[in-house]
Amino acid sequence: MKNLYIKSVMALALIFTFGACETESNFEDSAPSISYIAVSNPAFSALEAAAVYGGVAGVLSNSNPNDPDGNYTVFAPNNDAFARLGLNEDNLGVLQQSFLTNTLLYHVSNGNSFGSSFVNGSTSTSALSLDRRFITRGGDTYINGSKILATDINASNGTVHVIDKVMIATGGDIVQSAIALQSAQVFKAPELTFLVEAVVYADLVGALTASEGSPSFTVFAPTDQAFKDLGTALGLTFTQPTDIRQLPKEVVATVLLNHVIANGGKFTSELDAGILSPLGGDPLTLGAYTNGTLTVTGVGNGSAVANMAIPDVQATNGVIHVIDRVLLPNL
Amino acid sequence: MKLPSKLLAMLCLLTSSLLLAQSPVSGFMKKNNEGSVVISYSMEKYDKVFLVPQEVDGVPVFNEVTNTSISLYGEFGITDNLNVVFNVPYIKSEGEATEGTLESLGFENTREGIQDLSLYVKYNFHTFNLGKSDLSFIGSIGLETPLSDYEANEGLQSIIAIGNHASSFNALGIAMFKTDSGFFTTGQVGYSFKDSGAPHAFLSQLKVGYAASKFYVDGYIANQLSEKDGVDILGEGFTGYFPATRVNYTRVGLNAFAPIFDGIGISAGANTYIAGRNLGKSTGFYGGLVYSF
Repeated sequence: MKNLYIKSVMALALIFTFGACETESNFEDSAPSISYIAVSNPAFSALEAAAVYGGVAGVLSNSNPNDPDGNYTVFAPNNDAFARLGLNEDNLGVLQQSFLTNTLLYHVSNGNSFGSSFVNGSTSTSALSLDRRFITRGGDTYINGSKILATDINASNGTVHVIDKVMIATGGDIVQSAIALQSAQVFKAPELTFLVEAVVYADLVGALTASEGSPSFTVFAPTDQAFKDLGTALGLTFTQPTDIRQLPKEVVATVLLNHVIANGGKFTSELDAGILSPLGGDPLTLGAYTNGTLTVTGVGNGSAVANMAIPDVQATNGVIHVIDRVLLPNL
Repeated sequence: MKLPSKLLAMLCLLTSSLLLAQSPVSGFMKKNNEGSVVISYSMEKYDKVFLVPQEVDGVPVFNEVTNTSISLYGEFGITDNLNVVFNVPYIKSEGEATEGTLESLGFENTREGIQDLSLYVKYNFHTFNLGKSDLSFIGSIGLETPLSDYEANEGLQSIIAIGNHASSFNALGIAMFKTDSGFFTTGQVGYSFKDSGAPHAFLSQLKVGYAASKFYVDGYIANQLSEKDGVDILGEGFTGYFPATRVNYTRVGLNAFAPIFDGIGISAGANTYIAGRNLGKSTGFYGGLVYSF
C-alpha cells in the first residue's frame, strides 16, 4: 500500500511537472511585433494611442499581406514628435480619425527597409502611396523633415526606425491641403480658414493647384490667429475669414505671394539660414536651423519672426510650413 | 487525529472564485446530504501585463485594471462519493484610461455584470486507506457558461471585459492524499474544451495544506496552458478579439479558513501570478463567509 502511494504521488508529480511548464523562456527570445514595440516602449505612448485610435494596432501586430516576406517598415515618431504638434496620448481626439489613420499609413511601407539604404535623394513609397524622401544633413539622415534618431529595430513583422517629427501629408496639393485643414478634415477644429479665403479672394487657387508640369513650391501658411493678429495690427477686426476682403485684392495677392517660393518645395531639413526669394513681395529671411525648425521673417515684419507651428506638411506639389505670423513685404 | 466532519465539509469551499484562478473543485468530498454555501468578495489589480515576448509596464489604453467580484459558491453531497459544485460570480472590471483617451476612442472605464456559471460534478472513485493516511482518486467534469450576454468582442475595449463569453467543458482528475495529522496534498490535472474561438487549455494544480479543528490553511500553484492555436495579443493573428488569445499562467496563492460557530466560518486568501502569457500580472485578495450544513 505504501508503495502504491509513493507511485501515485510520483506519477502525479511527473504529470504536473510536464504540464506546468509555462515559463517565459518559451518565448522571451522571440522578436516582438511592431505593435508590441509601440505598446511596450514608454517613449511611444502617443504612437500607441494613435495606432489604437487610428485602427492600425491590429494591422501592425500581423504579417504584411502585401509583402512576400510579410514585413513592414515603420518610421515611428516618439512622444516628443507628437508633442511638437501639441499632441499626446490623451488628446489625439482633436484629430479626425481618418486623417490620423492616413498619417500613420504615411509612416509605413511594405517590406524591410534598412538604415543603410537611406541615401540622400532617394525615395520610399509609403502605404499611403505617397513618396517620402531621404535627406542627409550634417551627420544625420532625415526622412522628409523628420530626423531619424534610431534605425533597424527588428520586429517579427518588419523593421522600426525612430523619428523626431510626425510626418504629415494630406495626399492633396497645396490648395487641397489647405482646404483639408480649413474644412476640419485634419483637426476637428478648422484651421487655415483665413488663408483659404485669402487665396480664393486673390485668385491664386489656380497657381497653387497641381497640374501636369506645374512647379512645386515651398509655402508658408499663416494660421488663423496670425491673420487675426494682422487685422489688429492694421487697425481692423478680423473675426471671420471673409473679413480679409476688407483689404484690397492686390494687397492680399502680394502678401500671399510673399509666402510662396518656387524652389521645388523644401522640407526644413533642406533649409538653411539665409534669404529666400518669394514669388511676390520682398525677400524672406530664414533664421538658424534649430531642433528641426527655422524662423522666417518678412521685410515688413521688422524684428518679429514667424515660428513654424506645423513644419513639413507634404503636398503633391510642394511642402507647406504652417507659421504663426503673416509674412509682410514692404507695402 | 480525526478531523471533525463539519470542518471537513467546510474545507471544500475554500477554493471559491477569484475569476476561477484556482480550480473550483477541491480534493475534499462532502458527505451525503451535507453541503455548504460561500459568499465571497475578491479584488485583484494589475498595471503590468504578460505579453509576448516580455511583460509590459502599463496596461494598454487602460493603464491599470482592477477587478472586483462577488461570488456565490456552493457544494453539496448527493452521496458520500458524488458531489456537485457551482459558482456564480458578479464581476466588475475597471480601467484607469484618461478622459481624453476614453473620449477619442469612445471607450468606457467600467464593465460589470454576471459572468459565467460553473457547474461541476465530482466522483470519488476510490479511497485507499494507507494506515495513518488516505489516498483518494477523484474525477470531475464541469460546464462553464455565460449567464448574461456581456460583450467580449469590443476590440481593445475588451481589455476590461467581464469574461471571454465562451463556454467550456472541463474534465479533471484529482488525487488527494491526507494524513490523520491533518496534512494533505492535492494534485489535479485536467483539460478544458472551449467554444467561441477560445483555445482549449490544459489545467493543473498542486496544493498542500494543513487542516486542524480550529483552522485550515493551504498553499497552491495553479497552471494553465492554452493550445498553440490561440493568438498572442499584438502578435500574428491578433485581430482585437481577446477570447481567441492564448492565455497561459502560473499562479500561486494561499487560502485560510476558520470556523466561528455553528456551521459559520470565514475564509480569506491571496494570490499572484508569477508567470504568464497574454494576461494581467495581477495580485488579488478575497474574503468569504461560509455556511455549512
